[in-house]
Amino acid sequence: MAPSQHVQVNLSPAELSYLRSSLAQSPPIRLDHTKGPKDFRSMRAEYDVLPGANGSARIALDDGLEALVGVKAEVEKSQRSPRVDEQEHRLTVAAGDMDMQDADDDDTKAKGQNAWVEMSVEIPGFRDEDALPVFLASMLTESLLASGGLKDRLYINRRFHWKLYIDILLLSPALSYPLALLSMTTHLALLTSRLPALKSEKDEDPLFDDDWDASVPLYPKSKGKTKGTQAMDRPPVIVLAMAVDQNIIFDPCKEELAVADAVLAVACTDSTSSPSGAQVIAIRTIDPPSHLTPLGVPNAMNSATGGVVPASTADAITQRELLASSDVWTPPRGGMKRALVGQIVKAVVEKGGVAEEVIQALQSIDVG
Amino acid sequence: MEYFSLKRSADVDRGQSNLSSKVYVRSTKSGKVQKIVRELYLRQDIPCSSNLCRACLHIAPSNYTKKVAPFVLSDTPAGSKNFPNGQYLIPDTNAFLTGMDLFELESAFHDVVVLQTVLEEVKNRSLPLYHRLIALTKNEGKRFYVFFNEFRQETHVHRDAGETINDRNDRAVRKSVQWYNQHIAQAVASRSKKSQRIPSVVMISDDRDNLRKSKADNIPATTLSDFVSGLENADELLDMISAAQERREVRSAKTEVFYPEYFTMSKMMTGVKAGTLHQGIFNVSPYNYLEGSVHVPAFDKSLLILGRENSNRAVSGDLVVVEVLPQDQWKAPSTKIIEEETLNKNDNPEAEDGENVISERERRALQEAVKRVHGQSTEGRPQPTARVVGIIKRNWRQYVGHIDRDSVRSTSKASRTQQTVFLIPMDKRIPKIRIRTRQAGELLGQRVLATIDSWDRDSRYPVGHFVRSLGELESKGAETEALLLEWDVQYRPFPKIVLDCLPAEGHDWKVPASLDDPGWKGRRDLRDLLVCSIDPPGCVDIDDALHARKLPNGNFEVGVHIADVSHFVKPNNAMDKEASQRGTTVYLVDKRIDMLPMLLGTDLCSLKPYVERYAFSVVWEVTPDADLVSVDFTKSVIRSREAFSYEQAQIRIDDRSQQDDLTNGMRHLMKLSKKLKQKRYDAGALNLASPEVKVQTESETSDPVDVQTKKLLDTNSLVEEFMLLANISVAGKNYEAFPQTALLRRHAAPPKTNFEELANQLKIKKGLELRSDSSKALADSLDTCVDSKDPFFNTLVRIMATRCMMSAEYFCAGTQAYPEFRHYGLASEIYTHFTSPIRRYADLEAHRQLAAAIEYEQLDPSLHSKGKLEGVCKNINVRHRNAQMAGRSSIEYYVGQALKGKDMKEEGFVMKIFSNGFVVFVPRFGIEGLIRLRDLATPEPEADFDAESYTLHVKGDVNRSVELFEKVMVRITDEMEESTGKRKVKLSLV
Repeated sequence: MAPSQHVQVNLSPAELSYLRSSLAQSPPIRLDHTKGPKDFRSMRAEYDVLPGANGSARIALDDGLEALVGVKAEVEKSQRSPRVDEQEHRLTVAAGDMDMQDADDDDTKAKGQNAWVEMSVEIPGFRDEDALPVFLASMLTESLLASGGLKDRLYINRRFHWKLYIDILLLSPALSYPLALLSMTTHLALLTSRLPALKSEKDEDPLFDDDWDASVPLYPKSKGKTKGTQAMDRPPVIVLAMAVDQNIIFDPCKEELAVADAVLAVACTDSTSSPSGAQVIAIRTIDPPSHLTPLGVPNAMNSATGGVVPASTADAITQRELLASSDVWTPPRGGMKRALVGQIVKAVVEKGGVAEEVIQALQSIDVG
Repeated sequence: MEYFSLKRSADVDRGQSNLSSKVYVRSTKSGKVQKIVRELYLRQDIPCSSNLCRACLHIAPSNYTKKVAPFVLSDTPAGSKNFPNGQYLIPDTNAFLTGMDLFELESAFHDVVVLQTVLEEVKNRSLPLYHRLIALTKNEGKRFYVFFNEFRQETHVHRDAGETINDRNDRAVRKSVQWYNQHIAQAVASRSKKSQRIPSVVMISDDRDNLRKSKADNIPATTLSDFVSGLENADELLDMISAAQERREVRSAKTEVFYPEYFTMSKMMTGVKAGTLHQGIFNVSPYNYLEGSVHVPAFDKSLLILGRENSNRAVSGDLVVVEVLPQDQWKAPSTKIIEEETLNKNDNPEAEDGENVISERERRALQEAVKRVHGQSTEGRPQPTARVVGIIKRNWRQYVGHIDRDSVRSTSKASRTQQTVFLIPMDKRIPKIRIRTRQAGELLGQRVLATIDSWDRDSRYPVGHFVRSLGELESKGAETEALLLEWDVQYRPFPKIVLDCLPAEGHDWKVPASLDDPGWKGRRDLRDLLVCSIDPPGCVDIDDALHARKLPNGNFEVGVHIADVSHFVKPNNAMDKEASQRGTTVYLVDKRIDMLPMLLGTDLCSLKPYVERYAFSVVWEVTPDADLVSVDFTKSVIRSREAFSYEQAQIRIDDRSQQDDLTNGMRHLMKLSKKLKQKRYDAGALNLASPEVKVQTESETSDPVDVQTKKLLDTNSLVEEFMLLANISVAGKNYEAFPQTALLRRHAAPPKTNFEELANQLKIKKGLELRSDSSKALADSLDTCVDSKDPFFNTLVRIMATRCMMSAEYFCAGTQAYPEFRHYGLASEIYTHFTSPIRRYADLEAHRQLAAAIEYEQLDPSLHSKGKLEGVCKNINVRHRNAQMAGRSSIEYYVGQALKGKDMKEEGFVMKIFSNGFVVFVPRFGIEGLIRLRDLATPEPEADFDAESYTLHVKGDVNRSVELFEKVMVRITDEMEESTGKRKVKLSLV
């Protein structure tokens, strides 16, 4: 969906055609021929790089793409329409009624609100209101909020909540579509974020432990360390996958994207319910830059190679339609096939699939 | 690809780096919660400050005059049994918290290194102790040195993963001790090759874990009590260790609790903000120690707090949070006198078991009190009651008292066993304090100073420790010091730094002869005016002088000349700070505790006769009818012609044969003052009365001989009228010049409810009406309150009315709206204090503001700041009240002494009636005393108390009734009051 006008790929139609055909082989040969279809670009990551933030992370890909994410939390008063029964309830609490029943607090889910998470994405060369940062931010926010886990964590009590400010900064120029990188960096930052430990109880004005070492992780770590298979909640991560013909390629680089038939962003998280693999939170198709590449001109239509230039535009379109299956570069059209989507999703969420691999890799940075 | 980490490399090469950081969470007032990262730059030039060390002398940073701060620690520190080569002490936080009184001793605890870690922890735990510790480090004789161990590279300690802050701080202390030992050993070695005595650096800690670890690391350490045991006079010193820490072990087995737990701080704050809980100062009734009250901003009247459980370990003066009890628990204030000593005589301080918070007898007394007043009119109506749910701030101080004889097991002086005894504070509103002591035998019969350390849920009484003994009960020295301590009067001699601010010429200072001298700049020469002063006899600090002369146009020129103290006391120097701390001079019967050093107060500033003095003059032109025509303020030089006492002045005015200008001037003043007074009364000023007593003392020994009520002469009111006029004029001028920051004095109109009771009493008993809707109405109705048979009755009513008033207070103009400035008692729109700068700090500030207002000099910035002035006002309001109370207690003591052994009959008036006693006021001595039913006869006679008609019918053999305002004959003897150890006048009905 996000128009990727920035990703200018300077490849000729012939090169594009060559690239596509090599990617369409079985097995595909990627631009970096050492990589298989599910391999990610190598990256370096570190966390807690910003001492003043509640959590932060930085990831640099070896193609020079680099992102920095800082997470800051602030206490905010919750806006709510006081209902009569609640009003009463609050009074008794303040008056020192210690045995306040937790019964009506059962709705621990869905206490959070979407407005409690605010995200800003900054990309060099773009203004805040440009389409790319806006779309990236909304996609990232959407996946964060979709599971509901995060915003419920921000709940302090009926009257207060944490407001989370996630500031995402792309340090390098946007060499390739940065969604996956930003998502992974955000994931790592959130995973290592800590909130001051709460000392007050119930609906009192919150009071926090002034010892930072006593602070609690935003995403609590699981107790037993029997590999990452057990159910535990972690922030979602977005994986980018593209399709070329029947092949599925993960983490495409800039040039590969330029010949994609279709691009899919799959947001997924550890599954808390099913023991196997991961869970899909959201899927978005992304308008691949290949749609904007220049057409190749077939010999038949090129006067220089002895062809005949079509007389009218309508003529030209008709001719091209006929030549569609030839090797001459034609920007791909249309969406993704259903079966392909299914395959991608399967590859992402299956046990030992891409999502699990990515999440565990990021987790091990934190642990290690 | 080259990869650069964004992180600081500090973690990598820990120890080598000179950079460290500290991370913590800060909660701001506005509710924000921030993660704070502080970077620490570690240095190596922080000296050890031992005179043994030469190396540090070279590296120590120098100040802007290129001087290194002198080293503090002695090169030959005192030794002890375990450390014969001498020792430097490094106490940990708890050592200071539990033993601050020990560290303040002059005789021991020298050469102490106060670590920054410890200092900060002390500050977090207790601000008063922190201030005392800071004062210690400034005391040169004690040789306390603050070592910034967190900033010195060698002693800086990183917090390990999973380490608690306490453990980390303990480790920091040990690390510093270790470093100090090595450092001192090196320093000594470098001084000379020969082996010398190397002082040990010893950690003082009571933390077992800390001691164990230091032993493992071979770091010299000892517990506080072990260390003290090695000193002379160890028994007394051991008593001075706070009880809090010992109890930890003693009490560990006990789980029984007497008091409800306090709410958490956040819960209280939420409640206070939401308006469901209330915050205020806890006050205990002087008549009934089980009845407290808390005035909270939300209500006009104070909330009652009845019984020990509801007051929940609050001590009078604490800032508490209370919760209002349900309406069925509302009660009327009791009409019964309940004193702690009569109910709980038999408490055993040692026994903890079987102790109830409310003893059976207490409970009965309380119930009776409630029963009696239920369902009665006006004052008997149940009032809202509350219970204490938490304490925001303890206002515990040191309390003076004496040891309860009954609580001492073995009175033998030789016995050195430790026992727990009760200290009964002089202040009846403070509960008994449980104290562990080894010297109980010696302390009996002494005035003792003690502090409260803690009050846990499982202890009925607070636990404290002995500080020092003031001397024999009833001895003048001990009693005087006791009352100064009780009222927090600073009575130590002025420190050198203050005396350094005095003029170098000393007593030889004179007004410069040459008019070109800078001292004359802006001053008017008023030396030719016939100025004189009128003061009480024997007055040496003469603040004010007056003059009056007839002008050619028939009007009068009247001048009030006030000592120009602000010329000598410049803002913000040490003397000014000391004066602002003291706030006021305190007058005791035989002693004066000055606000300013003697040299200024009694000589250079004092407007003594026959010599030239700087003054600040207010000069009016007034018509013969005492209407103001103009007013002029100026700095001046005057020469007083004569210093009169009130009596002398009166005689001189009355003596027709004296017709000199000075006397005639005084006669003008007298005439004008009477007109001024009349005008004031017409405007509604109140003529209130307070019983003022004078104690006559033998001149040499100042032993009291006789007591009299003070006589008031016309000359008293002459001076008073013109002082009031000057104050009002100055207040107006200062307010005009500084509408935000003028320092003024106001007297709020009393709430109507204050007079309800008195009005009702007058109506029922005498059929008189007391109206209190305005000060004028009150003044008028007070005039009508007369009893033809009894001339004193009117004075009695005025005394009682005075007690219904609010107290006047200093304030800063910007903090109140103009209508609130009003001085109710004087019926003046605006008022300040200007006329006694020698003895009141407020007047000194008013002088500075007036000097700036007339553009004599620049105003000091501190007088521009509303915040600072508010602080000053708050302090002087407290000091002012304390000084009054101290003066009153002093008179009380002397009256007791003067009447010692006497037995006489006097007439008195009943001014308050309880269901089991009544209060009688004796005008002759200005004393009031309580007569309880049980004093009338033994066994205590039955009595019917009729609250409606304020009558107490005593049955039995006595068989008489006592009613309010009744004139009774009382027998006056003296007795030693057991509860307070004070000699008091005892009244009994004849």
